[in-house]
Amino acid sequence: MARRARAAAAASLIVGLALVVGLTLAGCGVRPADADSTLERIAEGGVLRVGVTENPPWTELGDQPSGTEVALIEEFASRHGAELRWREGTEEVLVDALHAGELDIVVGGLTDTTPWVDEAAVTDVYREVTSASGEIEKHVMLTRAGENGFLMDLEVFLRAEGRR
Amino acid sequence: MTRTALRQGLDEAGRKALRRAVRMEWATIAFLAVTIPVVGIVTGSSQAMRAAWIEDMLSLAPPIAFLVAVRVMSRVANPRYPYGYFRSVGVAHLVAGVALLTMGAFLLIESASTLVRGERPPIGSVEVFGQSVWLGWFMMAVMAATIPLPIWFGRVKMRLARQLHNKVLYADADMNKADWMTAVGSIVGVGGIGVGLWWADAAAAIFISGSILWDGVKNTKGSITDLMDTRATTFDDAEPHPDIDRIHDHLSSLRWVDEVRTRTRDQGQFFHVEAFVRPRKGRMPRLTQLEKARAECRDLDWKMHDVVIVPVEEFPETASARSGES
Repeated sequence: MARRARAAAAASLIVGLALVVGLTLAGCGVRPADADSTLERIAEGGVLRVGVTENPPWTELGDQPSGTEVALIEEFASRHGAELRWREGTEEVLVDALHAGELDIVVGGLTDTTPWVDEAAVTDVYREVTSASGEIEKHVMLTRAGENGFLMDLEVFLRAEGRR
Repeated sequence: MTRTALRQGLDEAGRKALRRAVRMEWATIAFLAVTIPVVGIVTGSSQAMRAAWIEDMLSLAPPIAFLVAVRVMSRVANPRYPYGYFRSVGVAHLVAGVALLTMGAFLLIESASTLVRGERPPIGSVEVFGQSVWLGWFMMAVMAATIPLPIWFGRVKMRLARQLHNKVLYADADMNKADWMTAVGSIVGVGGIGVGLWWADAAAAIFISGSILWDGVKNTKGSITDLMDTRATTFDDAEPHPDIDRIHDHLSSLRWVDEVRTRTRDQGQFFHVEAFVRPRKGRMPRLTQLEKARAECRDLDWKMHDVVIVPVEEFPETASARSGES
């Protein structure tokens, strides 16, 4: 009786572990789909719409936006063959536009303590820096919620290029 | 000295079943102690995962209620608690039921409003050993891993609940049985996000919270009717308990008995039976006959913890005849 119980428990455990390993391996590198097909839209001559708010040295506004995050986005767009369209504004205005589907990304030296988690998708932390006051800042970007394939694509790009 | 009332009341097979049930409940708690943090870590912003996670936490309530009740129930009756502590099972059952009901209603409203507002769940990726993996695959894998054990727990507990006539154990087994549907629901929801159907997540969450709410309604209703001393039924409330008929049959077979009516309280684990007996004309039983009849009734089944036999001329209106008779 007890032996059968143990055997059943062991079998369940093995099945469970096999499922975890199997599904994880199957999932490796497989990208989810976007709810609104952002990745397909920006590919090959599409337009990547990016909101930018000033926060040097990450983002600086002038005749043309510049800064480390702006440079990253330029590289990301060129890899997709996408045309870049910048929009300047305050964080709130830009996040509203992102939520409404008028923008694809918002940058501005944002960190993982951003309050916009309910309105937007927050990327994985791509870079950690120590601020002047000695605090560790974990930098992220915002994308439109629901565009999970696009989000993952940007994360993969930031992991490869954003750490420096 | 404590822990005796319950054990003395059970026969050997019952004691064995009780030990097994206690072990199963500890195993369930151990299982949940592992899965709750793991599911919590991968939950992210999926509504369905959040609902499943909260259900996992709520499934801690019935095992804890059962273990506490077994402990309290073991105390011996005393002048302050003349009927013993057996009702603690009913109280535990009610607490667990209300917890399910509240949480289910809360989650249902939350998921429905997410769906109506059209909020889209963002799920990103993580880096594992240099590979970027979408978190959704992790969620589905973890939920799949939580399916097999609860199914097995549920089957064993269901058998023990029948044997022990324990309704908290039955409620718990029922919940374990429903747990795998929750897991499948969240896998479908996250899988839906994976193929670009943002609404699949909230829809799955509605399904899961509906199942939690239904568990809550069933358990709250069951525990309240038990505490209200509804007539004794089998462990799954499916039919009147057959032991009551056996008491009727036994007492009716005695030579001095003309007619029998009973009133039974289900005290959670054991029954408390009041048997009203009208003696045949000129056959008023002696005290020894009454004593003997009482002992024989108690020997019919270990559940007959307390039997009171009252010789009467007129039956109380609420006492009932054997089932199938009026």
